[in-house]
Amino acid sequence: MDECREAERLGAYGDGELSDAARAGMEEHLARCPACRAELNRLRALSHMLAAADEPAMPPAAMKRFHKAVDAMPMIELAHIAEVFGAAAASILVACCLWLLHARSSGVTSGQIPIWETVAIARHETTVTAPEEQLTQWIVQDLSEKTRHDQN
Amino acid sequence: MRGTRNGVATESRHLETTDRELVERARAGDPSAFHELLDRHAGFLYSMAVPLVGNAADAEDVVQETLLGAYRGLRAFEGRASVRTWLAAILIRQAALRRRHERKRMAASAQAATAVEGSRQFPSAATAADARIDVTAAIQGLSPDHREVIVLRELHGMSYDEMAQALGVPRGTVESRLWRARRQLQERLKEYLA
Repeated sequence: MDECREAERLGAYGDGELSDAARAGMEEHLARCPACRAELNRLRALSHMLAAADEPAMPPAAMKRFHKAVDAMPMIELAHIAEVFGAAAASILVACCLWLLHARSSGVTSGQIPIWETVAIARHETTVTAPEEQLTQWIVQDLSEKTRHDQN
Repeated sequence: MRGTRNGVATESRHLETTDRELVERARAGDPSAFHELLDRHAGFLYSMAVPLVGNAADAEDVVQETLLGAYRGLRAFEGRASVRTWLAAILIRQAALRRRHERKRMAASAQAATAVEGSRQFPSAATAADARIDVTAAIQGLSPDHREVIVLRELHGMSYDEMAQALGVPRGTVESRLWRARRQLQERLKEYLA
């Protein structure tokens, strides 16, 4: 179809969607372009035809169904949130399991306690009890020597 | 012209404040507010859904999914668009999801696909007893993008700015899609428009 370049803006003109300046320009153009005037009439006829089409009426049962659905929405939303948290918890659990598996395979096992851990948990009893132990050893040694001396 | 079309601007301006108040109340946990929003907009959503998805049963599902989407998105609603436009945007996305799902389902079943092809044979102007049937069929025969703009503009009288917000596309895209969609409809309905 041999079409005027302005034809593409006819729809916006017919819909009242052009700016004031563009509308004035289009009106000037329409006054001298019979092809665009005919096209504008066809567009208007189409709009009337579409507007006359039956508007789908919503069945009353549908409205009841929607209201019921709205009532159930807080629970659906809670279930959705629980689902999200559940998935997050499962992901964390899986991540922990993988980390443990990785830790084992890289040689850090329960039988091989790292040095830093041994030092950290070591009890320093030796320094506390040393004088008492030493004293006990001296007494035992002394008594042993005395017994040996008496036997001789 | 239908009721949704005449006086849309004044009606929406009048209801806008109260719609937003209802959203605020629903956000605060008032269940009756969301029911009121439903009473106010369900008819609009349903009449938009039917031509978008092509049948009443799917349209009901799409409206219900739209309501759930709106309920979940209450906190994200910023009020840049009207509540009506916001709901329309959700419905358009839900309808697109439904169509995608339907396409996958049909692709998985060769038999079903054959049946659908059969059902897509719209009556021609020469055989149709009622032009209205052909109008519905012609709208159904458009691509989803073109169908959306026709439904929003011609059946619901939305402005180009509202359509751009609802569809998430620039205003220029709305205008060009509408132009092409109207061209296709003119071609399909030429016997009535001559």
